[in-house]
Amino acid sequence: MTISARAKTISCTGLIILLLFGLRTGLCGSVDDAQSFALQAAEPYVKEGFQVREDYWGGDLGSGEKKAVRQQLFKGNEYWFWMGTEVERARISVHIYDSDGKLAEEGDSWQKGHFAAAHIIPKATGSYFIIVAVEESSEERTHWALVYGFR
Amino acid sequence: MIPIRKPLQVCAVATVALSLSTWAEQPPQRIDVKQLSQKIEGVVVPLPNEVFGALNKLGSVNWKEYVRTNKSSNFTERPRIALLLGTVIADGFIAVQAEDAPAVRDIGQRVQALARGIGVERSITGHAKAITEAADKRNWEGVRQELDKTQSSVQQAMNEVHDEKLSQLVSLGGWLRGTQVLTSIVTKRFSPEGAELLHQPDLLAYFQTRLASMPEFNVPIVHEIHEALGEVRPLIDVGNAHISSDSVKKINDITTRLDNGIVTR
Repeated sequence: MTISARAKTISCTGLIILLLFGLRTGLCGSVDDAQSFALQAAEPYVKEGFQVREDYWGGDLGSGEKKAVRQQLFKGNEYWFWMGTEVERARISVHIYDSDGKLAEEGDSWQKGHFAAAHIIPKATGSYFIIVAVEESSEERTHWALVYGFR
Repeated sequence: MIPIRKPLQVCAVATVALSLSTWAEQPPQRIDVKQLSQKIEGVVVPLPNEVFGALNKLGSVNWKEYVRTNKSSNFTERPRIALLLGTVIADGFIAVQAEDAPAVRDIGQRVQALARGIGVERSITGHAKAITEAADKRNWEGVRQELDKTQSSVQQAMNEVHDEKLSQLVSLGGWLRGTQVLTSIVTKRFSPEGAELLHQPDLLAYFQTRLASMPEFNVPIVHEIHEALGEVRPLIDVGNAHISSDSVKKINDITTRLDNGIVTR
């Protein structure tokens, strides 16, 4: 193959990759973006020894809507759940309840604009409810992602 | 697509300065959980080291006793490979607890071979290499993270080709091996706190539901696990009561039997 033919092949391949990448981004970019923000919120805690799980929850919610996720937690561990959205003008929240519906999170749980986090040191091993909410948003539907870490 | 599996993205952006002085608005002290039932999102199965970490805090454990590196049988049935893959990844977490670098390396290679058996090897090649490198440096936190990434990548690759059921069997294999080791440790040195770590009724119900939706996997071990989980459920679904030492022993017998079924032909 001549150099010019090879260059042409490379350039065509590059174009195809760009098109495929663009297509992929277009299909699933928003929840991925939300996850990036949730991971940003988690980042300082990794330095404190929290192992952030690879799996995460995500979806979209309208303003004022809530969603519950249920998660098995173990007494003896300490957990943080971090929530994020790419919609910068959104206000989101995350709170943790035990299986009886009693608020179970620590007092240092926080929310700040399009980031929120809830901290729990479980008093018992079992299922807990993590309630995620989009309190306000400039968008009709707001993508969200929730990651968690433990130590 | 919830929960979602995806390799951890290293955020290039600067860490957000999150002021801890920004407190959350006061949430309600109590909610009606019955009203939530229609709005529950998917389950994320805890990693074996999540329960091992909690167990470690109850007293020292001789993890070397539980390290397993022997090559298990080679299977051709994809459900069997998926279950075994989950089990071997759990063995990786045990080897990390024992800080056994040669075992971690062997397990990394075994994971790669099993992933090849179900056609998802490419998704984990980088992680398998990273596991070996981290084990050589005795970077145990790094190995743990890579094992999580390995499992996540394998399952994501399966989900992408609509093999979600195989992906669930990977989680189940890991959960069974983790529960076998947990019950073995608690049986040897019983404490109500150790037994309480078995209080996972919703997770068990999740696996039972998933297995019930896999009639196409006509392999005896899958049926055997489904039946056995029915035996385990009343032993751990005890409400506010304690899980007894007898129950722990019974669960250990059951999970040991299932583990043998998973690793041998």
